[in-house]
Amino acid sequence: MKIIKESNKENLTGYLFVAPQILLFLIFLVYPIIEGIRLSLFQINYQDEVFVGLDNYRKLFSDPVFIQSTINTVIFVVFIVALTVVFAMFVSAAVFDKNAKYVSFIRGAYYIPVMVSMVVMSMIWSFLLNPANGLIPFVARELEVVSVNFLGDTRLVLPVIIFVTFATNVGQAIILYIASMIGVPKELFEAAEVDGASRMKVIFKIIIPMVKPTTLYIIIMNIIAVLKIFVVIQLLTGGGPNNASTTLMYYLYNNAFKYNQLGIASAVGVIMFLITLVLSIPQLRAMFKKD
Amino acid sequence: MFKKRFLTMGLATGLVLSALAGCAEKESGNSDVDSDSGKEVELRVWLTPQWKGVLDGSEEGADYDSFFKHAAERFEKEYKDHNVNVNVEVVAGDQRDELLNVNLNGGTPPDVFFESVFAMGDYAHRGALVPINDIVDDAAKNDIAQNYWDNVTFGDDVYFYPFSQNPGTFAYNAEMFEAAGLEKYIGGEEEIKTWTLAEYEEILKALKENLPKEKYSNAYPMGLFALNNQGDTWNLAYLRMFGNQFFDKDGQLVINDENGAKAASWMKKIYDAGYTNPGAESVSSNDVNAMFQNQQLAISFTNAILFNNAKADMESGKAPKFDIRLANIPSESGDPLSFTYVTGAAVFDTKDETRIQVSKDFVKFMSTDPELVKASKNGVPVRNSVVEEFSAENPFFAAYAANAPYVFNFTGNVPGYSQLRQVLYPELQALYTGAKTAEETVEGYQTKGNQVIEEAKANSVIYK
Repeated sequence: MKIIKESNKENLTGYLFVAPQILLFLIFLVYPIIEGIRLSLFQINYQDEVFVGLDNYRKLFSDPVFIQSTINTVIFVVFIVALTVVFAMFVSAAVFDKNAKYVSFIRGAYYIPVMVSMVVMSMIWSFLLNPANGLIPFVARELEVVSVNFLGDTRLVLPVIIFVTFATNVGQAIILYIASMIGVPKELFEAAEVDGASRMKVIFKIIIPMVKPTTLYIIIMNIIAVLKIFVVIQLLTGGGPNNASTTLMYYLYNNAFKYNQLGIASAVGVIMFLITLVLSIPQLRAMFKKD
Repeated sequence: MFKKRFLTMGLATGLVLSALAGCAEKESGNSDVDSDSGKEVELRVWLTPQWKGVLDGSEEGADYDSFFKHAAERFEKEYKDHNVNVNVEVVAGDQRDELLNVNLNGGTPPDVFFESVFAMGDYAHRGALVPINDIVDDAAKNDIAQNYWDNVTFGDDVYFYPFSQNPGTFAYNAEMFEAAGLEKYIGGEEEIKTWTLAEYEEILKALKENLPKEKYSNAYPMGLFALNNQGDTWNLAYLRMFGNQFFDKDGQLVINDENGAKAASWMKKIYDAGYTNPGAESVSSNDVNAMFQNQQLAISFTNAILFNNAKADMESGKAPKFDIRLANIPSESGDPLSFTYVTGAAVFDTKDETRIQVSKDFVKFMSTDPELVKASKNGVPVRNSVVEEFSAENPFFAAYAANAPYVFNFTGNVPGYSQLRQVLYPELQALYTGAKTAEETVEGYQTKGNQVIEEAKANSVIYK
């Protein structure tokens, strides 16, 4: 009896130590999620809240703009993540074993856009691409090349946003890959050299399998980041033309802050949370496996 | 051993309690501010960019908040009931709704907001504003014409104190007209020129074909934009060009008819003909205004305040100087298409009686003080007394008055107008990119727009 009491006391001490962290976790992470789910079942005005059940979700799935936003988000995720992984892998595999100064230079060059605010980058791209007074359309007109509206053409607007986001974010993946590749045991490369393996063989048979955990991490983190893509859309296209470049996050933002439809916005938030959760399961599994 | 454990438990309890105390202290800190409101009152006054300077844009250091800072300073000195501190903040027009919605949902609305009534009417419908009937006296009612009071009255109550009005027109670069051989279409310096629609099309054609490329490189006849809802009143005006009435007597959109489709088709026609800047679907009114000031557009949208700001920028050397003049938006009937924004201050329901009362007193002070109301000359004053005082130095007041019979009510006073604005520009983008025909555009706008109006009507506190 006494022993149980003693161990309870010890446990209590432990719980009290983790309590501040648990408290903050509950207030700032768990509570907003629960509140978001609750709000998604209500229609909210400035003065009152009316319970509407799953009406907000029904409205969402019957709204073509929501469907378009979901499709666009999926396109962004697939293309941006694929481009980032392939390009970062290519650059890193090409430079990781070169002179340290050269590697630092490459790392720095690709990392600078990551450090610059996305807002600034978007504004610069807007200055370049604005169809009326942007630099690229101006040069195209001066050279009498057929002028294209990169931001106003439904066929071009998605590739342009994919490129802008990719160019801004790829530095992060390059840093991670180079670090990971430098960590690959030298003996493997030496053995390959002795066996007379070509560079391609080294890349496909040694580097890619050895940096698999990094690839998995980059894929998951980029998927989560791209799901939340917003600033580029807000500053470059405003979701246009005719909602052709709108994304789930931008749709959520419009509903929450422009149309004041908090219930609908919360429903979008819940859907995005579920998608992210599903996509994070492989990463969580991989992490637990290691332990 | 026991002592050590006791100490550890005590330490852990202390940590938890300090975290909780941190929260609790913050809570009680808030209520202290509330209970002290009788002595110190802090007001937040927000405005979107209107005119620069206290009375005039030519003053040194003139900025968008100069007038309100000056009014606040005087109010703080002259107000006897409380010790007031007024904080003035200028917010971007295209960020207004986002900022207000975030602050309303977070329970921290500003106390006073100065803006065009049309953009703020929804907040009255949503119950976020307080009526200000009690600060409107007979002297004000006699000095300000009834149509302005109608504009700021929702249901039975007044929600905005009319300050000035801001009629929307075209601005044109008379020098570019001359360069394109269009002398006969140039109006007087103090005139708002009216062209017929046929004449207007001739002007656009001549500007496109005859404007000397070496002097005006990369220039276009007319500004057209549909990136977002900014400046959409001009787009609404174009949609009325062929006589469409826009709203029926029940406040429903009726744009989907032959005249509506004709107007949309006209917009597409001038865009396709290259009479406008390229890429209208991804160009904003701000871009267009900047292009006009840089002489890349011969005709652009303007209103009385923008017009004065443009002239002030030219005088101060911030923008290239040219001969800027005004014209009406033409229509098929030959009558000008005219509209005006009534601007004024509204008081938000902050749930704090003292702050609401002081806010009302501030609004009354800035909207009635004989010296301060003179600033309304930067737009067009709503007060007859100010119009009379300044009509000699501002001949445009008479020109705007001549347009009065042609003024249309572009909001239709419908609830949900802010959200209705979000429906129009995607449709216009679809029109310009060729994704929809003119008929499909007006049909899409009417269907989605009427849905917005219906939903807003059901939630309006005014209609309850």
